[in-house]
Amino acid sequence: MNVVRFILQNHVQVLELTLEHLWLVGFSTLLAVLVGVPLGIVISHRTSFSKPVLASANIIQTIPSLALFGFLLPLPWLGERSDRLAILALTLYALLPIIRNTYTGIRSVDPAVVEAGRGMGLTDSQLLFQVELPLAVSVILSGVRVAIVISVGLATIAAAIGAGGLGEFIFRGLAMVDNRVILAGAIPAAILALAADLGVGWLEKRLHAR
Amino acid sequence: MMRLPSSLAVLFILATAALLLSCSPSHSNRIVVGSKNFTESFILGELIAQQIEAHTSLKVERRFYLAGTYICQQAILAGRIDVYPEYTGTALTAILKQPAGRDRMDVYQRVKHEYERRFGLDLGPPFGFNDTFAMEIRGEDARRLNIRTLSQAADFSPQWRAGIGYEFMERPDGYGGMVTTYGLHFAEQPRIMDLGLLARALKDHKIDFAAGNATDGLIPALDLIALEDDRHFFPPYEAVPVIRQQTIREHPEVARVLAELDGKISNAQMQRMNYAVDGQHRDPREVAREFLLETKLVR
Amino acid sequence: MLGGHMPAEATTPVIEFRDVFYRIEQIQILSGLNLQVEQGEILVLLGRSGSGKTTTLKLVNRLVTPTSGEIRVHGVPNDQGDIIRLRRRIGYVIQDGGLFPHFTVERNVGLVPSIEGWPAARIRARVQELLDLVGIPAELASRYPRQLSGGQRQRVGVARALAADPGILLMDEPFGALDPLTRDELQLEFLSLQQRLHKTVLFVTHDLREALRLGSRIAMMETGKLVTVLSPEEFLRSADPWAAAYVRAFGDGLTSLANRGKS
Repeated sequence: MNVVRFILQNHVQVLELTLEHLWLVGFSTLLAVLVGVPLGIVISHRTSFSKPVLASANIIQTIPSLALFGFLLPLPWLGERSDRLAILALTLYALLPIIRNTYTGIRSVDPAVVEAGRGMGLTDSQLLFQVELPLAVSVILSGVRVAIVISVGLATIAAAIGAGGLGEFIFRGLAMVDNRVILAGAIPAAILALAADLGVGWLEKRLHAR
Repeated sequence: MMRLPSSLAVLFILATAALLLSCSPSHSNRIVVGSKNFTESFILGELIAQQIEAHTSLKVERRFYLAGTYICQQAILAGRIDVYPEYTGTALTAILKQPAGRDRMDVYQRVKHEYERRFGLDLGPPFGFNDTFAMEIRGEDARRLNIRTLSQAADFSPQWRAGIGYEFMERPDGYGGMVTTYGLHFAEQPRIMDLGLLARALKDHKIDFAAGNATDGLIPALDLIALEDDRHFFPPYEAVPVIRQQTIREHPEVARVLAELDGKISNAQMQRMNYAVDGQHRDPREVAREFLLETKLVR
Repeated sequence: MLGGHMPAEATTPVIEFRDVFYRIEQIQILSGLNLQVEQGEILVLLGRSGSGKTTTLKLVNRLVTPTSGEIRVHGVPNDQGDIIRLRRRIGYVIQDGGLFPHFTVERNVGLVPSIEGWPAARIRARVQELLDLVGIPAELASRYPRQLSGGQRQRVGVARALAADPGILLMDEPFGALDPLTRDELQLEFLSLQQRLHKTVLFVTHDLREALRLGSRIAMMETGKLVTVLSPEEFLRSADPWAAAYVRAFGDGLTSLANRGKS
């Protein structure tokens, strides 16, 4: 097949762009987890905050990605480097699924179990780390999985503002009107998304609450 | 006491983090040459790449078709490319956001100084041609109306439709300034189109006035005339290689080798190369190689 | 230690409710509760749903905070001092065990000792001891709660509550979700356990039969008020309208229950 031959011939560049893509997706997902999971934990315990937090994350999601990139461009420090900007935008988009799933996961832990634990003298942090989080981890991971898959797709758009990644092939192919180049970007991106989906999905099943 | 799954999860996270950190872009033994997404930029990119390949032992990777000045700037700042061809005028107004200058040397020096200071980027010596904006009209119109300069064109502008590239519309040294300086009054808003399509559209009477470039290959080929910038509105746009200082530190031979291109390409030569690719549909790689052989830069 | 072996006056109740009121929003859940639980007794809180008996139980380990009034444990008001320490000294058993579904039986039972920092060997030994005590075969130790029957889960729940050797046990309808045969079995086992361990037990139920069989005293509650506190025999003979209503509702054969298995 033409595409496969093209990819093999240009494997160095395909690899390099794939690594750039992984960097964008991975780092932003990590940030989203570091911010989103604690935030989800907080709103699951203080439900008065849950509406505003979830609503904000929801609003961010409705902003078209290219528009969000555009909004962030004029900012100092961030706007100077498009990869920083892209990582910020990707992080913001990943927040909703992660916060929401953390919230849902913890709220769906059997309250009788939590109360039993509290009654036996577990501290709040012991309850969180030994009971709530382990029981919610499968749902949380499911949110992470969704976030990663979304990010892989969004990161292709980031190439439009110069952040690199597999989207660069796609845009180049469009400009050159060359399908092989487009696919050389699209196929690895699709494979990345699939691999993440399957990999994290496997982890979810392993850790599913017994 | 951590349970097996928890410690496994922590390990997984650490491994992922480690993997991610190693993904952040860097490449030590290759030179990546970038270019923008139009013909002249490819050709220059090829010249740079082939020059490095011929005179050093470094491997060169090409990352062309970057969609615009901003994207190239981002790519070189992030280290995704090591060198790419830029224009002094563009660097001054679009990147450094300073008002345009008139004097070639002055503009070059200012850009060189600021690039070193602010971005850690080095400006190599100019390739030799000035690809400033050229306002083109059809040869037949120029002869019939007997006009040679932009000032003369002002009287006829209300009858014309203008076609311009996207960057020309947005840039401070572009459409807005030109229209004011020369008192041009086009009947409608200009049509914004891909640079590569401007000459064709002009020839086909879809537009009457095109904001092209001085080194357009199709100017002589399609009997188009570039109007003279008699009020000297358009700043100089000398093509230069922009190189990362870090790349020069690691591979000083790159700077040396690119310096050999100093002043080697005239406007006419660039026009010819552009035409070979745009008009005759030849491969930019070959066109570049031919040039290097002709000028004895490469044997 | 919350003074389980304190040389207090012999008459200091282990648990004492003083003028306790509890209200949420507009609803008065408990009014004017005054009650003492003596050392070594099983005090049954009997009442129907909504009578406030579960809330009363939860006041002891401060899962609920009273609107006014005091709860004293071993003579000390339970809002003073470390609430975590208080809870770890009190065993808490709820309906269907409340076992952690992601812990094995062994890990569930060893929970409080482990958060108290006992060495692993000591925890293992204690878990073994308790599983024997409640009649859970050793091979079930590495199973998960969902793999056990209801009765087995409840036994594990009791074992877990006893793990750190608390002086007080709070039990909230622990046998309520079980079938009658298993319930009967567990009640008897519990009685014999109590004969050996002499814990102070506050036991919530709506089942008069259970109350008569297990309770050394029965505290009857109705709509948030303590109606009467009687021994089982007294209860059966009582002229109190609520008590009488209960006796009527439960029909015959109660007398034998009242007399069975009492020390």
